[in-house]
Amino acid sequence: MDTITTHHHADAHRDDTAAKIGMWLFIFTEILLFGGLFIVYAVYRFKNPVAFDLAHQELSIPMGLINTIILLVSSATVAVSISAIQKNDKKMTMAMLGITLLLALVFLVNKYFEWGSKFEHGMYPGSDLMTNLSNGDMLFFSLYFFMTGLHGVHIIVGMILLGITLFKVKTGAVNSGKYALLENSGLYWHLVDLIWIFLFPLFYLIH
Amino acid sequence: MAEHNHTKHEPNYLEYQGKHKGLLGWLTTTDHKRIGLLYFYSMMTFFLAGVVMGLLMKFELISPGEQIMGAQTYNGLFTLHGLTMIFLFVIPGVAAVYGNFFLPILIGAKDVSFPRLNLMSWYLYIFGAIVVLASQFMGDGPPDTGWTFYAPYSLKTNTNVVAAVTGAFILGFSSILTGLNFIVTMHRLRAPGMGWLRMPLFAWSLYGTGWIQLLATPVVGVTFLMVVAERLLGIGFFDPAIGGDPILYQHLFWIYSHPAVYIMILPAMGAITEIIPTFARKTIFGYTAIVISSMAIAFVGYFVWGHHMFTSGMSSTSRWVFSLLTFLVAIPSAIKVFNWTATLYKGSINIQTPFLWAIGFIFVFMIGGFSGLVLGSLATDIHVHDTAFVVAHFHYIVFGGTGFAFFGALHYWFPKMWGKIYNTKVANLGLLIFFIGFNLLYFPMFYLGLMGMPRRYYDYLPMFENANVLSTVGSWIMATGLIIIIVNLVRARKGSGREIDNPWDGKTLEWTIASPPIVENFEEIPVVEHGPYEY
Amino acid sequence: MYSGASNFVTTTDTAFAVIIGISMIFLVGITATMLWFVFRYNKKRNPVATQIHGSNTLEIVWTVIPTILVLVMFFYGWSGYAPMNRIPDDAMKVRATARMWSWLFEYENGIKTDTLYIPVDKAVALDLISVDVIHSLYIPAFRVKEDMVPGKTNKMWFIGQKTGDYELFCTEYCGLSHSYMFTEVKVLPQAEFDAWYARMADTTLQAQAAAANPGFKGKQLVQTNGCVACHSLDGNKLIGPTFKGLYGAEHTVMTGNDERTITVDDEYIKRSIYEPDADVTKGYTKGMMISYKTQLTDADVAEIIEYLKTIK
Ligand code: HEA
Ligand code: HEA
Ligand code: HEC
Ligand code: CUA
Ligand SMILES: [Cu+2]
Repeated sequence: MDTITTHHHADAHRDDTAAKIGMWLFIFTEILLFGGLFIVYAVYRFKNPVAFDLAHQELSIPMGLINTIILLVSSATVAVSISAIQKNDKKMTMAMLGITLLLALVFLVNKYFEWGSKFEHGMYPGSDLMTNLSNGDMLFFSLYFFMTGLHGVHIIVGMILLGITLFKVKTGAVNSGKYALLENSGLYWHLVDLIWIFLFPLFYLIH
Repeated sequence: MAEHNHTKHEPNYLEYQGKHKGLLGWLTTTDHKRIGLLYFYSMMTFFLAGVVMGLLMKFELISPGEQIMGAQTYNGLFTLHGLTMIFLFVIPGVAAVYGNFFLPILIGAKDVSFPRLNLMSWYLYIFGAIVVLASQFMGDGPPDTGWTFYAPYSLKTNTNVVAAVTGAFILGFSSILTGLNFIVTMHRLRAPGMGWLRMPLFAWSLYGTGWIQLLATPVVGVTFLMVVAERLLGIGFFDPAIGGDPILYQHLFWIYSHPAVYIMILPAMGAITEIIPTFARKTIFGYTAIVISSMAIAFVGYFVWGHHMFTSGMSSTSRWVFSLLTFLVAIPSAIKVFNWTATLYKGSINIQTPFLWAIGFIFVFMIGGFSGLVLGSLATDIHVHDTAFVVAHFHYIVFGGTGFAFFGALHYWFPKMWGKIYNTKVANLGLLIFFIGFNLLYFPMFYLGLMGMPRRYYDYLPMFENANVLSTVGSWIMATGLIIIIVNLVRARKGSGREIDNPWDGKTLEWTIASPPIVENFEEIPVVEHGPYEY
Repeated sequence: MYSGASNFVTTTDTAFAVIIGISMIFLVGITATMLWFVFRYNKKRNPVATQIHGSNTLEIVWTVIPTILVLVMFFYGWSGYAPMNRIPDDAMKVRATARMWSWLFEYENGIKTDTLYIPVDKAVALDLISVDVIHSLYIPAFRVKEDMVPGKTNKMWFIGQKTGDYELFCTEYCGLSHSYMFTEVKVLPQAEFDAWYARMADTTLQAQAAAANPGFKGKQLVQTNGCVACHSLDGNKLIGPTFKGLYGAEHTVMTGNDERTITVDDEYIKRSIYEPDADVTKGYTKGMMISYKTQLTDADVAEIIEYLKTIK
């Protein structure tokens, strides 16, 4: 522990509201991070409307839709786990977190197959196929790989956060009197979900 | 000064031994004051390295032709110099050092809201710095793109751009977390009675800065990631050969990097706003106006980035809109200058070293700011864009502004931070030499720019020689001044010195506690009953 | 400074004068006030400060006045710039191409030069093209500058109002020899320009010259295509290997990952120009030289080879 808290009693500096404000601010920066990418997407779409339209048809809407549903459900399970811990229902909390993690994993597996099928067709960043595409197609797929990739990284970070929370619920470090960590991981998870809600129509639906 | 008995039973933050002792105690500390010093020492190291690079460049430019290095070395040098000075010195700058050290004290708190996150920000900073510096030694040699990494050159050059850009990305992360920490601290930890409008103005400037850090940094962060992806994976974003748009890169870069210049200057202005009332022994003139102007700079600063791109072929409409907004962003700075000056009126001025730095700051900041107006105007910027004029502008305002404030604040808070006092006469002499050297170094660059000498020029035509010689000589004088200043401070730090709690008769909270402060700053959280500068 | 070298000088310099003038008044005024206060209200002269918290009137005054002044500055800057954007229809058109690190100017009748020749008192409009990275064309005496962005054609125009030679710089950092990327603008009297224009375009004259000295055409090609920015003619090592003694020399090159020794012959030179990255000469960087496939025909390359043979 740090010098200060050992100096006084352990909870001297605990401030759950601060933690929550902090998390909201952080989420705000995450949205801006993707916001920058949305601008890039908008600009290139505006410049290459036809190519973007054709390219998006190469993506499988059912796959995307399944993943959207998975993330929405996982957002719900996180929310349930929070109300469970408020009611001091440790078992329920852990179960719900477990399901969330499982759903996240399914999402990634899904993504793996989706990317995998693209890779099989020789479509991956830097591949010959990719470099020989027309400019618009190239930009579309570059953005597709980059943005879903970055989102995937966020899924993994979210899973780590939720995993740690789950562990702490188990040990009792997170409990009905002290669950800011759970709330914050939950917030983060909603963000990950929210970003996907934007990515899905941008790449799979809009034409 | 009155003897403080609380120093007797509470160890100060420098002596305090926690779980770990010595160096390890410092590297694991979560005390905001120690973290402030960690930033201080690391930043000074980078700053001096950057200064040496500046001197080498100036030496190379003393006359046409090759003096001491080839073109590739020179190009690598101004890139590293710019990166070091911008990302490792002035962006963390005043906020990371004095903000960390004094923000909690100024608002009557024991620490920031997230002490451990604070330490992590420092580690991210060091890690980012290492990655940036590693770019010099890894791969195919030092990056040679300039600190702006303009595409498509940054995508084509064989040098190690990836490491430099990744480093800058990590540094951005560090900056975001610091800003976040400060904002939350001000929302949650103000002492009882310290309403928003009783906060010292330095705190207010950090509040504005925090928001800029949060709002602008992510955009450049993702842009840098895209550059990395483009270089490593061959994904196309900005290379026109594959449909990308290099102008879009410039927009994304400046959407961050213009607000970033206000990240550099706002805390500096805040520090100056602390120094002036203390030495005028007078309350600040126009407290509310200064608060509003800080927030206005933070806000309007978002909408002017296009002024770096007046010659890039933007539409006429964007040009005049960006030009107009650029002029408007100058107004809040003007308001600050007027209020500082008005504060001196009918004061009882105690001329001490920090005060002289503050006056010097206002002078060079004005020159920097006014040259900014020349750059903000369309016809004139067309002529001087990317010439030595721009180089003069930003050295006046970045080094002159942020740098002067950094050293001014150092002289102001030195007794509080270390409980020692320096030799004032030597400090003033150092400042005088530094000031003369500074102007001799950078003023000729205005002239060179007007005559048409482009920037980032390793070699130049003989017609530019005289002014360059003057400028190089200035750099030596300035170096002399800086050495005097630093040696004086190092000696004061090492010397025995007196312990003084309030050498300048300051009224803000940091002057009510012991020097150096105890671990949690206050024996008891103070109750605040009036504004910050009540004389 | 120069005066009146182009039609934009007066307006631009007026904007400079207005902005710098107002700024000087404020700089001197504020500095003097500050120093006067420091002197007058020194603690010796004024031991007790008068506490003044502010004044709304003053705040308004010093918000409004600078606002008006910056609007004035904006106006001068804008009105100086606006005409730069309105290219007259009858302007003489020149295509300016930038590449690392040389300039090429192409006139309507097909002449190519590495120096910009223009007639005095005539509007000239430049199409700005870049084939590799961003460059910027800057003629200080004319107060004009515009970036040359690959994939995009920017435009610029001006009227040279005084005969003479003026510097033309590249002002956007473009790599190693950025600071050597300069040339000249030669503003000629109309008659002189016309004579030059006709002479350059006269194919019989050119043919005579070519017949007289072998490699003449190749030399022109090498100059206008900017080869000499990277390849010296005197044996110095620049970014690329020198042309001196190149033909017939034995060089070690990297083909992919294989190192092999070749003799520089016609075939090799052609390959070097069309696919520079295929064989990379040892000690030099891959990717610096771009392919000239689209710019040089087989016949051009043959001329260049003739020329290279002459540089011993
Ligand atoms: C601390 C950092 C800092 C600050 C505060 C500023 C402040 C300003 N800057 Fe500067 N700027 C830089 C750092 C900074 N700049 C850097 C690093 C670059 C170069 C980047 C690169 O390309 O590498 C740059 C480049 C730059 C350009 C681009 C130039 C080009 O490349 O062509 C422009 C153009 O408009 C500009 C304008 C301004 C203006 C109008 C202000 C204003 O905010 C200034 C306001 C201040 C005053 C006006 C003075 C005080 C006022 C008074 C005393 C009252 C009287 C006032 C009036 C009558 C108005 N700056
Ligand atoms: C805070 C920011 C900052 C600071 C402080 C400086 C400081 C200096 N800079 Fe600058 N500079 C930039 C930010 C800064 N710079 C940026 C952003 C760029 C743009 C980069 C780009 O184009 O991408 C730039 C570019 C730049 C150029 C332009 C390159 C070009 O366009 O061709 C030059 C040219 O001379 C220069 C020179 C200097 C000099 C001489 C100093 C002087 O400060 C140095 C003077 C010396 C001293 C003050 C002290 C000497 C000290 C010692 C010798 C140490 C000894 C120490 C001890 C014993 C303790 N800098
Ligand atoms: C931007 C710099 C640049 C320009 C412009 C340039 N070159 Fe090169 N050139 C190089 C470099 C670097 C190499 C060595 C690496 C390689 O072989 O690709 C090279 C190699 C060559 C070689 C092979 C030399 C050897 O020693 O094997 C020839 C021939 C050549 N260039 C001809 C030309 C011609 C003709 C032009 C103009 C039409 C030209 N170059 C323009 C940079 C340049
Ligand atoms: Cu071309 Cu600089
Ligand atoms: Cu700016």
